[in-house]
Amino acid sequence: MIINYIPILLVIAAAAGFAGLVVYSSTLFGPQSPNKEKLSTYESGMKPVGTTKERVSVKYYLVAMFFIIFDLEVVFVYPWAVQFKKLYNQYGISVFISMLIFLVVLELGYLYVYKKGGFKWD
Amino acid sequence: MENLKTLVDSLYLLKPEIAISCVLVLVIIMDLIMDKNKTFLPYVALTGFIITAFLVVEQYFFKTSITQNLQKLLVIDAVGAFFKLIVILASCLIVYFSLISKEVKEAFDRHGEYYALICGMVIGMFFMISSADLIMIYLSLELVSLSSYVLAGFTKNSLRNSEASLKYFVFGAMSSGIMLFGISIIFGLTGTTNLLAVKSVMAAGGNSLTFLFASILIFAGIGYKISAAPFHFWTPDVYEGAPITITAYLSIASKAAGFALLIRFITLGYVQQIDASGAWQLVAGSIDWKKFFTVISILTMTLGNFAALWQDNIKRMLAYSSIAHAGYLLLGVVVLTNQGLSAVILYFIVYAIMNLGAFLVVMLIANKIGSEEIDDYKGLGYATPFLGVCMAIFLISLTGLPPTAGFIGKLYLFTALIEAKMIPLAVIAIINSVVSLYYYIRVLKHMFLTRPQNEDLVINTSFAEYVIVLVLAVPVILFGIYFTPIVNLAKNSVALFLQ
Amino acid sequence: MTTIPIEYYLVLSAFMFITGVIGVLIRRNAIIVFMCIELMLNSANLSLVTFSSYMGNSIGQVFVFFVMTVAAAEAAIGLAIIIALFRNKMTLNIDEVNIMKW
Repeated sequence: MIINYIPILLVIAAAAGFAGLVVYSSTLFGPQSPNKEKLSTYESGMKPVGTTKERVSVKYYLVAMFFIIFDLEVVFVYPWAVQFKKLYNQYGISVFISMLIFLVVLELGYLYVYKKGGFKWD
Repeated sequence: MENLKTLVDSLYLLKPEIAISCVLVLVIIMDLIMDKNKTFLPYVALTGFIITAFLVVEQYFFKTSITQNLQKLLVIDAVGAFFKLIVILASCLIVYFSLISKEVKEAFDRHGEYYALICGMVIGMFFMISSADLIMIYLSLELVSLSSYVLAGFTKNSLRNSEASLKYFVFGAMSSGIMLFGISIIFGLTGTTNLLAVKSVMAAGGNSLTFLFASILIFAGIGYKISAAPFHFWTPDVYEGAPITITAYLSIASKAAGFALLIRFITLGYVQQIDASGAWQLVAGSIDWKKFFTVISILTMTLGNFAALWQDNIKRMLAYSSIAHAGYLLLGVVVLTNQGLSAVILYFIVYAIMNLGAFLVVMLIANKIGSEEIDDYKGLGYATPFLGVCMAIFLISLTGLPPTAGFIGKLYLFTALIEAKMIPLAVIAIINSVVSLYYYIRVLKHMFLTRPQNEDLVINTSFAEYVIVLVLAVPVILFGIYFTPIVNLAKNSVALFLQ
Repeated sequence: MTTIPIEYYLVLSAFMFITGVIGVLIRRNAIIVFMCIELMLNSANLSLVTFSSYMGNSIGQVFVFFVMTVAAAEAAIGLAIIIALFRNKMTLNIDEVNIMKW
């Protein structure tokens, strides 16, 4: 029973070992010239320490908005993709075309956003 | 797998919806391709709406049964086609209004989305009118709501606009959330979302307090769309803040769709059969809609009429008046008979014309004097006699006095009530009409009986404006005197009502 | 293995729903109000999925797909409205959005 999980344990060990080795070797062989910027904690370009009540730029919401919309439409493609073979055998190309129409309409919305400058940051 | 086949075969029932979807896509593509010249966009939308109107008229005569219709998701019948006709005609007029509205013209660069969103609303309302399944009801309601949230805040640089939009959104999202929770309970109780199946489960003895509770939760969503009393709070703010064209549109089209949905919801989900005299027999043990609607309609019209008394902004006053009219329209549903239904239909024809007319005059005056306050209407009857007289016609009709169409509409509603032996309710409704006289006449008093603030103010009316005002004002008088055609239309629609 | 009784899910769902309703009514920040609305929709989703899985009926699951999309669209439009409001008023406090009242 528990013996079945040993390969997984091995994979974890190998991954951890490799990661550790790479990190260690870079400190061992790489040139060292530390400065203040380099030594600070990396936080995707933001300041790591500061007030938590800071306001996020309202433009960020715009990006969030587009992400939500285009991200969630995929929900309808999944069930279609799972059943596609079965449906295709029965109804032929029309199954494909109907999804294509959906995607084209979706892309039209994307194009609209792009053309209206929705993706520009300022 | 037979399902998909029948689904494809019954696509022809969806011709109007498909047409309007194509218009939507076309408007967006045109907007993208033509960067500079967008003056023709309204005409594209208008042409599409007129074509759709013809397809809807064709649908009026379809003879189909529910079982054939798209997996029982939708019902296509004459009553539905009638409401669709109201919606599409209102849309045509609104596009025309938008052409002459200063507010809309100023947001010139975003015309593409304006007309596209109107198309979106039309699609949603069409599905709302014909849906027979709780999933369809929820989705179509949301489609209408989402488009109208954006439209309410269309001229986004004014604070009033974005405030209207936010309030509309919060109330709308909350009531649709409540409705969805009700739907989930009904699904849990019956294992289906189809209204007919729900009814048969219920008739087999599946009734309970939970069921009643869930039905009322679902009514929250519908009540919000028709702005019935406990769910009306958004109406005045949104009507005041939104552009006038959209206010007019919300007060006609989305209310028509809401009422169609309400009637569909009751008849499919709760009415066991319609007997020979036209009375609707409710499923045994189901919620007593008669009492429920009586309370709601009394509350709605009283609240609407009394709150309207204190308004200084004419759009806000018309908003409260539209709440009151929703109350009158609910009277036709209260009696739960075919006569009541035909009275609702008749009232809707009249209400659409007179309310659109009133908003049109308000819009034309606001175009010129830049104000919607009733105090600024002083002496306008002399500055523009034509608009003044037309406003008088519309307001008298909204009160329900002869010889206007509003009188005929109210007469039939009250007759239906009296036939159903609900005399106290009729008396309350008549008292309400008397109250409404005060605030409608107050506007006219300002227009005709007070001295103008600015003696040399002259408001010119262009030819296009003349035509559209007359198109709405003439029927109000005409149907007030010669009302046989609309009465027959209402009766015919109900005669073809699908069971 | 014992299954979790259906009541647990329903109680959780009702609790989420009530939290959402109360949140919409009493919170002041527009973003938090929107989050509470999402909570309401998701509570309905939870009960739909629960019923669906207990009855072996797929309608509820399909419905949840649609509700999720609608919720996303609603959130997007809500954010858009917030941006428009913020540009005009420079606040997200709902109590300060009050130029229209009777």
